[in-house]
Amino acid sequence: MSLDLVLGFTQALALTMSVAFVTYVLFIVVPYLRRKPAPLGDPASLEWHFFVPCRDEEAVIGDTIRYLRGTFPIAHVWVIDDDSDDRTAGVVRTLKRNGGVRDTHIHLVQRQRPYARTGKGNALNDAYRTLKLWMGRRADTDRAIIVVVDADGRPAPNCLEVCAAAHLFGNPRIGAVQVDVRMINAGLRQPGVSLWRRTFGAALVRMQDLEFRTAIAAIQMSRGATGTISMGGNGQFTRLSALDSIAGRTGSPWRGSLLEDFELGVHLLTAGWHTGFSLDTHVNQEALYSLRRFLAQRTRWGQGTMQCMRYLRRIWDSEHLTTLGAAEMMYYLAQPWMQLLGTLIYPIPMALMAYRFAVSPAEVVAWFFDGAWILFTVYGAFGLLPFVLWGPVYRARCVPVSFWKSIAYGFGYALYIYTFYITSWRALIRLVRGNNGWTKTRRNTERRVVTADV
Amino acid sequence: MTLAVRRTAFPSRVTVVVLLAVAAGLVFAHRLYRTAEISLSGAILSVISSYGVDVIPDRQTVYFGLGSDTPLGLRMTPECTSAFLVLPLIVVGAVMIALRPRIQSRVLFALGVAALAVVIVNQFRVLTLVGLVQWLGVDTGYYWGHTLLGSMVSVFGGAAALVAFVWLATRK
Repeated sequence: MSLDLVLGFTQALALTMSVAFVTYVLFIVVPYLRRKPAPLGDPASLEWHFFVPCRDEEAVIGDTIRYLRGTFPIAHVWVIDDDSDDRTAGVVRTLKRNGGVRDTHIHLVQRQRPYARTGKGNALNDAYRTLKLWMGRRADTDRAIIVVVDADGRPAPNCLEVCAAAHLFGNPRIGAVQVDVRMINAGLRQPGVSLWRRTFGAALVRMQDLEFRTAIAAIQMSRGATGTISMGGNGQFTRLSALDSIAGRTGSPWRGSLLEDFELGVHLLTAGWHTGFSLDTHVNQEALYSLRRFLAQRTRWGQGTMQCMRYLRRIWDSEHLTTLGAAEMMYYLAQPWMQLLGTLIYPIPMALMAYRFAVSPAEVVAWFFDGAWILFTVYGAFGLLPFVLWGPVYRARCVPVSFWKSIAYGFGYALYIYTFYITSWRALIRLVRGNNGWTKTRRNTERRVVTADV
Repeated sequence: MTLAVRRTAFPSRVTVVVLLAVAAGLVFAHRLYRTAEISLSGAILSVISSYGVDVIPDRQTVYFGLGSDTPLGLRMTPECTSAFLVLPLIVVGAVMIALRPRIQSRVLFALGVAALAVVIVNQFRVLTLVGLVQWLGVDTGYYWGHTLLGSMVSVFGGAAALVAFVWLATRK
């Protein structure tokens, strides 16, 4: 195969992938910028159950329970203790005792090894089965809404009103709703670390906030048109009857992949349920300051997406999904694979150019200054534009920073996205090695405990 | 008496194999495709140009402006051909048909339209280049026509072809 052929092929493939991505981004950004708030609903028309999976969350779970009970008095809070080594369960029991006046809206689901620590999905399934027993057979499962919240999650005070709206759970065909996710520590610097780490950590947190509130939110909104809104791990609202319909004989609506939230969405959509998304409310979570932890988290997500590729046939076979919807889900599932392909394809033209430069430098220099620099500028702009534009979008819809700062955020976001090329390879390596288990991502306040022999 | 004729769809597996064979053909027989592409350019140019046009198929090159002050030869290289822009569409189309056979005819139609759009865009790029060379002279015309305008035509044409493909292949 000649060099010209390799160059032509890789250039065309790179062009196609870039153009596809730019076109996709332009299609999703417009509805996002045009959106308007929707009418609210009556939360009393439904029954709300917060599921809070916990493992060693003693430091945060007390405040979370107090927040949930104080902000949503009509809701039940189900804390799932995944056999914590710390006092997580003790904190829950203390709050449940409530100084002698028992709080009947706080529930503790305790799991024990060897049946505990087998994944978030299994923990949620345990809570689901416990809730079913607690509610009894005659319960109105269409009215019951399960809300999955992280141990440090803070759903916005209006989230029940928003989710009870006519276009969301007011519509009986809606089986699940995902709300916007925001980073509670955006703009806050990590204390007790060096200036460099503080600055880098703050930038990383800002990028996570920008990503969730602009790009991911816009993708979710566009999925409203394709009928494929997916679920996230935090701020996930699901109708109990929808969970029942996919729970199977084992009573397990959540499955075993590392991306159990996306997997839940696939099962609901292919079972004929509709899903919704709202930017009118949100859930706050803590973003990661540490690059190491961030890369570990994203590797897990990438591996989870790769695992979910097994649903491709199910998605395309489903009569409930349109071809556009199935194509959208396939595009999403193909992302980590396309990133792998991109790391192989994109450098080839550059490598060939470097080779030509080594062979005849004068010719390449003349070619570059004769006009090829324009090509580089055009392709560079197309490579950066789909990422940089989210900076000004973030400024317009989320945080009012100066224009130039928003541009800097955009360039930062482009750099941030490049980490996915690393995490996709790490995910592939784990997948090939059969490393499908995973420990939870440690929170910012958690430190690694190191023991040494003496 | 009525005669019921059952409409049988063409087996999707055969379609998928044919599409993948076409995709492989575009890679291994790209020279043939480029020859056809440059011959088409030559045919169009000979119709619209008042100067001489000549195609050398073996070198995938078209000479135009023969007899004028700005004669030039353009070679359809692997980097310039539309073959490799059509190829990803064919592969995606084959995957879609393999996964949902009932959309076969819709995907084939979308593929035809998108592939035609890509071919037309590439012809338009060649014609633009020829026009600019004749208007601005060889150096300046080729510089702007090949480097900037050609790339922009490829990018926007490619985007239009992709949108057309997705829209036609996925509409209800």
